[in-house]
Amino acid sequence: MTKIPEVWIFAEHQQNQIEPTVLQLISKAQAIAPTFKVVAVLLEAPDQQLEQTLAAYGPDQILAVKQSQLEQVADVEQAMILQQLVQARQPNSFLFGATALGRSLAPRLQAKLQTGLTADCLDLYFEDELLVQVKPSYGDNIMCEITCPERRPQMATVRPNTFAAVPVEADQVCQEIEVLTDLTWPKVAHFDILNEQVIPTPPASLAQADRIVALGRGAADPASVATARQLTAALNAQLGVTRPLTDDPQFAVSNQIGQSGQTVAPELLFCCGISGAVQFLTGITQAQTVVAINSDAQAAIFGVADYGFVGDAKAFMTALNHALLAKNA
Amino acid sequence: MVELTAAQLMLHQMVQEFSANEVRPHDMAIDRERSFGSDLYRKLVDTGFLGLMLPEQYGGAGFDAVATAQTIYDLAVGNASVAVTLEGHYKTLDQLLKYGQPSLLDRYLPSATQRIFAFSMTEPSGGSDHSTLGSTAVRQGDHWVLNGNKIMITNGGLAEVYCVLVKTAPTEFSVFLVDQDMPGFKFGKQENFLGLTGTPIGEIFMENVVVPADHLLGKVGQGHEIGDNAHADARVLMGAVAAGIIEHELELAVDYAHQRKSGGQRLTDLQAIQRKIADIALAKETTALLYEEAARHKAKGQPYAEIAAMAKTHGSRQAVRAGDDTLQIYAGYGYSLDYPIEHLIRDARALEIAEGTVEKMRAEITQLEVAQRI
Amino acid sequence: MKIVVCLKQVPETNQVKLDPVTHNLIRQGLAGRINPFDRHAVQAALDLKAQVGGEVIVLSMGPNDNEYCLREGLAMGADRAILLSARAFAGSDTLATGYTLSQAIRKIGAVDLAFFGRQAVDADTGQVGPIVAEFLGWPQLTLASQLTWTDQGLQGVRRLGALAQTLAVPLPAVVTATRELNDPGYLQPRQIKAGFQQPILTWNEVDLEADPARLGVAGSPTVVRKILAPQTKTVPTQYLNPDPQAAVAELLTALQAKNLL
Repeated sequence: MTKIPEVWIFAEHQQNQIEPTVLQLISKAQAIAPTFKVVAVLLEAPDQQLEQTLAAYGPDQILAVKQSQLEQVADVEQAMILQQLVQARQPNSFLFGATALGRSLAPRLQAKLQTGLTADCLDLYFEDELLVQVKPSYGDNIMCEITCPERRPQMATVRPNTFAAVPVEADQVCQEIEVLTDLTWPKVAHFDILNEQVIPTPPASLAQADRIVALGRGAADPASVATARQLTAALNAQLGVTRPLTDDPQFAVSNQIGQSGQTVAPELLFCCGISGAVQFLTGITQAQTVVAINSDAQAAIFGVADYGFVGDAKAFMTALNHALLAKNA
Repeated sequence: MVELTAAQLMLHQMVQEFSANEVRPHDMAIDRERSFGSDLYRKLVDTGFLGLMLPEQYGGAGFDAVATAQTIYDLAVGNASVAVTLEGHYKTLDQLLKYGQPSLLDRYLPSATQRIFAFSMTEPSGGSDHSTLGSTAVRQGDHWVLNGNKIMITNGGLAEVYCVLVKTAPTEFSVFLVDQDMPGFKFGKQENFLGLTGTPIGEIFMENVVVPADHLLGKVGQGHEIGDNAHADARVLMGAVAAGIIEHELELAVDYAHQRKSGGQRLTDLQAIQRKIADIALAKETTALLYEEAARHKAKGQPYAEIAAMAKTHGSRQAVRAGDDTLQIYAGYGYSLDYPIEHLIRDARALEIAEGTVEKMRAEITQLEVAQRI
Repeated sequence: MKIVVCLKQVPETNQVKLDPVTHNLIRQGLAGRINPFDRHAVQAALDLKAQVGGEVIVLSMGPNDNEYCLREGLAMGADRAILLSARAFAGSDTLATGYTLSQAIRKIGAVDLAFFGRQAVDADTGQVGPIVAEFLGWPQLTLASQLTWTDQGLQGVRRLGALAQTLAVPLPAVVTATRELNDPGYLQPRQIKAGFQQPILTWNEVDLEADPARLGVAGSPTVVRKILAPQTKTVPTQYLNPDPQAAVAELLTALQAKNLL
């Protein structure tokens, strides 16, 4: 009997927390490869229990390496451990989050395995056992479909917040947890971690925000900006802007949404006075619910909006502020 | 666009980036504050803009007239005042390089990478008509003694070194270099001009300023020729400034007309607007072709005074007209001081006057056409 | 210290579109430029050289046109430049590119540090630095946002999400540079001129003593099989009442139903 093909997902974690992209990848892999075996590969210290988090998202198997050397480990060492696992078990595919660590580790492993790796994918699907990897190029202006026809595993890093992480029903929680405790790997030159410091993500970080109020040229006057700031306070949201507003010194590129700014993935996005240029739309494709407010009924933004209000942005924001105040009172 | 060598292309890419990141964001502030400020000035100096066309032997980069004009254009797309300040400096260095005595150049030009040089002709009694000049230079042994008053000097007050056109005899004109540190040299008032407000336009006084003999440019009596030559050099670059202003106007016009809708149609779909935008684009290309051709002639050592005069005559008028069209496309916003269009028109209007009025240039173009044909 | 900086030449603009008929790329402007992140890599190398002395060599792989990005490296202050150019290198993906560059670094010899930009702005992979590190058997510090030379050697900082790690990196090593690492400023016109007066050394596959099976298309496991225009989602828009108060009431009801407020 031929072996069931396996899709591996590298279960990156920081500060004893599974990186959210890993959970997103587990859900995505189950959706695109229902007949494959989805395996989460976890390297952790003996006192960690991160397999519990992974199990709730229902991978078919969790392969956990639990060893004391993994308390502090260099990227190069992790690549060597993964190389051993891959060579022993021959997975069909191996997916990583396109995080700082994933983008350091995956190419190192790729070179060890002499296989292909596609960076920063925005979509994945299988054609039989061939993984089709869709990645942006030229600053998201075009998309490429990339495959690795001959060599295995097929490797990809996937952009964070591209797919939804969906916990499974209680009866589908992963039961198959294999723990390895006696791996050895040769000593090689690697960096030493002198110091680790958690630097809180600045509150202005749009990329992580769950709610965003975004302003465009139709809501760029000082009164609209002031109203929008009240609205962000009432909604506990972050303020974002389109590129033209970054000419205003009160906004920086860190406030900018779109191709040359931030890619955002909020649950709720208000687009006020934004026409919906392609450069902006590529930055909000992962927004779950979009409310568009624009005086121009033909504006492209309505094409991606769940809710649309054709009219003055400031009047709408003012009304919303009043309603939220009344609701909270 | 003119064919650039790889080195010129790299310069062009750098200047474009500098203009977009360091100049354009301050465009309206420069106009309003009537200065481009010491930070931007420091960046221009530190990046090496002052020595751009100065030969390598004096510490410059030695770029030719084509690259120099391209640089002025790229900066003018960001802000015309910044470009005109460099234009005034470059045209002065051009005269020193062509007419200056080696001993003077060795002493002065290495400092031209760090400080601005200016060229002054106009006096209260008259501008381009030299016969009315009152400033004088009198020979005393190994030295010359200069007296007089010069006004409306591009970079007057900012520049530290001045080339001045003076009378050395009742109908004889000559050019001398004077330094702000010389006894008897004083600055006067700043002009309160309508446009190009970021470029200082100032006045100097000379009271018995004594300069060594080698401060004479060219020969005694060569002043007219040097003045004409300075005008020609200035006009190549003023054509580039005009093209830069039109490019800025075109960018604003297209940007707005593309996103603004009227009666469900984009403004760019309306014939009346299309006519304006097409005319602005045409104005930019024709102006660019003229200044680039003038620069190319100059770089090859061919005559360029006439085509340079054409570049400025055509470009200055087109820049005003294109600004007017842009204002009309923006309608009420265009008429607002909160938008940059009004200052682009004021800046453009200066180009019809500075470095020779369009009337004087048309007279010169006519004379040259007559001389060639008859 | 002998420092190599690997440079990629990228199109002048990312404003590319797809021809709707041929599906070929339409690039506006034919000029190339240095990958912007690579400037930070060159600057990091020059800063280190200023502190400890040594030599900075810029290295690029590609057609002869790629001389241009090397000239920019020279204009920034690099000491010399090497171009890897041969038909055999054409069609390389990141794996083949990494192999080719690692062979060149071996040939240069006695290299202490190889710098890369964190990624190229056209392909956005960021893979070639770690691949070169693997082929050379060197440690890697990716996404360096700070770099200092101390008595104990090279130390750098990288961000893993909210975590800032300070790392000691034994040499030889590969470092990839982020924008936060330094400010390369603008090229000086005089340096641009000087950069065009220096010779550039060109090496081909024979010079590199490379395994032909690992070069170019043959050495590239991945295939770009299709190029597409980016998709935007299309959802039916529920239009709200034109009166702001009524619209807000309608919206709040809908959002509460979806547990969004």
